[in-house]
Amino acid sequence: MELLELFFKSIFIENMVFATFLGMCSYLAVSKKVSTAVGLGVAVIFVLFITVPLNWLLDQYILQPGALRWLDEEYADYDLSFLSFILFIATIATMVQLVEIVVEKFSPSLYNSLGVFLPLIAVNCAILGGSLFMQSREIPTLTEATVYGLGSGTGFFLAILAIAAIREKIRYSNVPPALRGLGITFIITGLMAIGFMSFGGMLTGGKDGGSKQETISKVAIEKIKEEVKQID
Amino acid sequence: MEKKTDKNSYTIIFAIIMVIIVGGLLALTASSLKGKITANKEIEKKQNILYAMGINENDASNAKFITKDKVAVAFTKYIKKQLIIQGDDVKADDKAYLIDIKKEQAAIKNANYKRRFPLFLGKKEGKISYIVPIRGKGLWDAIWGFVSMDKNMVVQGVYFDHKGETAGLGANINQRFFMDDFIGEHLLDKNNKFKGIAVSKSNNDPKNNDKLDNEVDAIAGSTITGDGLAAMIYSELAPYASYFIALKN
Amino acid sequence: MALLNKKDAALIKDPLFDNNPITIQVLGICSALAITAQLEASIVMTFSVIFVLGVGNVVISLMRNIIPSKIRIIVQLIVVATLVIIVDLVLKAFAYELSKTLSVFIGLIITNCIIMGRFEAFALANGPWRSFLDGIGNALGYGVILIIVGFFRELLGTGDLLGLGQKLLGHPLLGNPIPGELSGLYKYGYENNGFMLLAPMALIVLGIVIWVQRSRNTSLIESH
Repeated sequence: MELLELFFKSIFIENMVFATFLGMCSYLAVSKKVSTAVGLGVAVIFVLFITVPLNWLLDQYILQPGALRWLDEEYADYDLSFLSFILFIATIATMVQLVEIVVEKFSPSLYNSLGVFLPLIAVNCAILGGSLFMQSREIPTLTEATVYGLGSGTGFFLAILAIAAIREKIRYSNVPPALRGLGITFIITGLMAIGFMSFGGMLTGGKDGGSKQETISKVAIEKIKEEVKQID
Repeated sequence: MEKKTDKNSYTIIFAIIMVIIVGGLLALTASSLKGKITANKEIEKKQNILYAMGINENDASNAKFITKDKVAVAFTKYIKKQLIIQGDDVKADDKAYLIDIKKEQAAIKNANYKRRFPLFLGKKEGKISYIVPIRGKGLWDAIWGFVSMDKNMVVQGVYFDHKGETAGLGANINQRFFMDDFIGEHLLDKNNKFKGIAVSKSNNDPKNNDKLDNEVDAIAGSTITGDGLAAMIYSELAPYASYFIALKN
Repeated sequence: MALLNKKDAALIKDPLFDNNPITIQVLGICSALAITAQLEASIVMTFSVIFVLGVGNVVISLMRNIIPSKIRIIVQLIVVATLVIIVDLVLKAFAYELSKTLSVFIGLIITNCIIMGRFEAFALANGPWRSFLDGIGNALGYGVILIIVGFFRELLGTGDLLGLGQKLLGHPLLGNPIPGELSGLYKYGYENNGFMLLAPMALIVLGIVIWVQRSRNTSLIESH
């Protein structure tokens, strides 16, 4: 249930394109035709699906303060979080290039339709954004990280599919010449984003209060009172 | 002829050298500057705590900390005691302000671990204030802060900060027009039960005259940051509420 | 210009208008949306990008003959990331206040596709001096748009502008105008348009900027 909630939340409420405005560049550049948009969308889903869990593992076992504890207790004090960017980027770029090589070898037809987008993805900030959100939101388990990656990717896919369909249709409309192309796309995206904002109200009841919450014990309360008396 | 930079062997050697150089460079910079960075962070924490207590150099409209050179003196003058509460144990510790709330929040995943709760006792003009560090999540990344309360759990001052909230929107949680709204706000409801402070968009009280409604006015356009902030206040102050409720009875 | 010959000067001038990285090359949009709710943030971001793109372009250009083409994307990303992280660490140690203002932008700078885009399109094929000029030019072009959008969003959205709100529109020093204490324009019924602060409005303002630009220079109009 929680996984399902996370999945839909990352698709609609925290949509990569419309809510956090990541991945805008490829979203705008590759949305002229539905077929190419689908290609890029699928590639993004795929790469997010792989890199978010991978980077989650990196974060848990290498980067977080104290994450190196599994090596030996004496490494528990190390904080390598300043390396996050570099490692995340390296994972993403490596994965993208690996995928490219594998797809090219085994399915040339898929490569022909997808291949051109793969290098584009390495610089798509939605991908790095996915990993950084995973880190900053402290997603607790590997499964959730995977679901989050999948959901964010699907959100991007939906967004780029929608705008590509609109752009195909708008060709028949009488748009002012200077707005044609990029200009009108910006404005439509803005309007779509306003629409997506309405999803924001869907999941508001979710306070974390439900989890086990310690409170200060009676014994401790008396001790604090003593301490306060001393300075009063 | 194939270009030499296209060869596999060259690529691998290049990658290895690159990793060594970059890794070395980063590790060198990070470790050589570590001392200075930690010192800066400690000063900042002290400034934050003092700010929440109302020890600051605010001008007409901007939040300003007391200057670096005065921090150490002011901190020992105003912060009388730093307590660490862990289970039934309460001990005074001058380094309690260095406790990393993020680590404590993460550590309770381990069922045997009793979370350490820091509590700073400040005294200004004869009045005692209880200052508590809090930490939560905003829209993009972590948000955190310090809340200073009196014995009735009425807010005396707050300091909020963030790692990467949207400039001009969520980032405004560290602006005075937002933080000042919390002063005087009650954290307990009328029946002395802990309620927290909600960040509300529709309480028809933009001037925040009603201090008993457990609500402050939200910043326009930053719903998620505001909700995160309210959730942070709720979940991080709830553990301390039992103490204040006990004082009332 | 005595310092720059004609070709070099074009490297700086073209990205400002006719080959603008945001409105024509479609690079660096994400950050343009994320930070333009405030003019000050736009200005800070502009300077950061000028620095990173200028220096990064030179570094990549110097390395252009030794970078293996297969892994060039990784190499480029790592160069930017290293550069930015080192600057961040140094600032944290020696200018903590400044680093606090800038730290918000670090993620946005590294993921800014304008930087990768210029590495790929220019620095990999040109010498360091020309790459440097190209970097500065594009960063400036990027900054111009950021500042235009930031100006309108902050002014119309909050009634403030770099803290000068009081003088410009009579906006109160702290927060939202309070009934009964109205001054300046607010006395005559003027209201802030909070909608301008939301990210969708950044897109729409950008759309309008593009509209204006292409109406002035019709050669830029796309067929579709």
